[in-house]
Amino acid sequence: MYGSPSWRRFAPLLILLALGAVLPQLVPQYFLYLGNVLMMYAVLAIGLDLLLGWAGQFAFAHIAFFGVGAYATVIFQTRLGIPFAAAMPLAALLASLIGMLIAIPATRLRAVYLALATFAFAEGAQWVFNAWDHVTGGADGLRIPTPNLFGYPLGTDPRAFPVMAVVLALVIVATLYLTTSKFGRSLCAIRDSEHAAAASGIDVRRTKVVVFAISAAYAGIAGGMFTMFQSFVNPETFGFAQIVLVLSMIVVGGLGTLPGTLIGVVLLGLMPDIMRTAMRSLLVYTELVYGGILILAMMYMPRGIWGTFVRRRAQP
Amino acid sequence: MLQQVLQATASGVVTGCVYALIALSLVIVYKSTDVINFAGGEVVMIGGYLGILGLLYLGLPYAAIFLFSAALTFLLGALFDRVVLNKVLGRAVPGQSILVAMVIATVGLSYVMKGSVRLFPYTEEVRRLPPLFTGEPIFIGQVVLQLQDFAIVGIAVLVMLALWAFFSLTIMGKALRATSQNPRAAALVGIPVRRMRMTMWGLASAVSAVAGILLAPKLLMTPDMGVIVILAFAAAIIGGFNSLPGCIVGGILLGVIQNFAGLFFTSSAISVAPFLVIMLILTLRPQGLFGGRVVAKKV
Repeated sequence: MYGSPSWRRFAPLLILLALGAVLPQLVPQYFLYLGNVLMMYAVLAIGLDLLLGWAGQFAFAHIAFFGVGAYATVIFQTRLGIPFAAAMPLAALLASLIGMLIAIPATRLRAVYLALATFAFAEGAQWVFNAWDHVTGGADGLRIPTPNLFGYPLGTDPRAFPVMAVVLALVIVATLYLTTSKFGRSLCAIRDSEHAAAASGIDVRRTKVVVFAISAAYAGIAGGMFTMFQSFVNPETFGFAQIVLVLSMIVVGGLGTLPGTLIGVVLLGLMPDIMRTAMRSLLVYTELVYGGILILAMMYMPRGIWGTFVRRRAQP
Repeated sequence: MLQQVLQATASGVVTGCVYALIALSLVIVYKSTDVINFAGGEVVMIGGYLGILGLLYLGLPYAAIFLFSAALTFLLGALFDRVVLNKVLGRAVPGQSILVAMVIATVGLSYVMKGSVRLFPYTEEVRRLPPLFTGEPIFIGQVVLQLQDFAIVGIAVLVMLALWAFFSLTIMGKALRATSQNPRAAALVGIPVRRMRMTMWGLASAVSAVAGILLAPKLLMTPDMGVIVILAFAAAIIGGFNSLPGCIVGGILLGVIQNFAGLFFTSSAISVAPFLVIMLILTLRPQGLFGGRVVAKKV
């Protein structure tokens, strides 16, 4: 499948948009909240999958860009008076720029060192969110002002839901175009063999920097989505546990496959909330169950759920 | 001021020795199996709790809890390699980095260990192991050190010497080194590679457990104390992530750097120092201060 993606692949998006329009009238608020959480994670996970599943770059910095997106969206509105509709794209742009700056030295590093350097960057970013308290509010966090989208106030789950659905749909469309383009094929080539990719005329370093920047932009957008339905942002949200959760989603679902990523998001994204509300007595087992899922998935489903049951590799 | 600098250096060396032990455990695992062990910190935590269990509940003498804790974590590490990593390795997907699968498996292990420790209500409160030695602090010039600090350095050095002797003097140690340098060639000369990998995981976990017991009187024990592993990562990276002497120097350097950061800047700089060190070293000198040239791994 080269060139532009077939129309068949866009069909599920119409369902997503329809659900976005209809569900807020039908479903209790709690389910809309869960839906919002999942849509946010979906954007985050799709962005990480571009980097890891498509380009084969094992990086942990994603969660830091998510944090930059969320904080910047809020700070641009409250400090600089930029309206939400501009603040969110600007925040994504900022995340993307920082991603590019990180990528320039980081892409020189090989697998293990890249993972460790970006891990350190993510922890360092969390420290900045904590320590830069006159801007970020420190450990106490920031209250998120009600985002106003051209006169339509968001800020509650039912109001944010349709907008989140539109953003997710746009992100999926962009991803489909990106991965079926020449750029997407270059990513696969780099993942499979950097030497072979370079030999066939792909500028490996430049492509890596660009995919880093794109992936960071996705994370920044997810950060903006966070501010649409949450009322509070603090550094806790952007810790190691979060990046592991997103990483697990794409690995359990199936690396380098969009449907796999979405399956992983739904399965693992709901778990913390379900554990917290429905199975309170089992809360103490959360970590045990979660760790067990990760280990068993790696042992028995190295291609993830999608790869195991549908048997398709990430090929454009 | 000089006195403060000396004091900061001395106590930095003490904590640095413990970081060095944990870093040794990470590097042993990395060299022999190409895995970054994100569960390294949790092994330290389990080691510390096993020490408490042995000393306070089973009534073992202090010297014996090192063996007790090391033996049990040895089994744990070896078992993880045998049961989990072996399987993950056997199911490698072509074109997909095996590193990702391995690392996720160790992250899974870290959650399982944290989760299992939390099942005991005992761990809800912060615990602490009594120190190995108690007594008057010792003055060297103006520098004050506790007897416990000497014990920490002494035991850490003992473990390092034992590791050195094991790897360079015994046949088994040489076989382990051969396996980590080139598994295929090692298999050809008749070294049981699988068993060697298991042994390395076990050995590394036992070293971490010793570090855990050394830390337990100084730090407060909680199921979340595994985050300390970031310091060990930093120490290992200073040393190049593939050199055992390098990570000993790296650990000690890091301990001193942290104390200096606290002394010359603010106390909150202590916690960010390791991340800065990691990023600086990896951008400026990815092979570490002591690692040789980076060469592409031969297949």
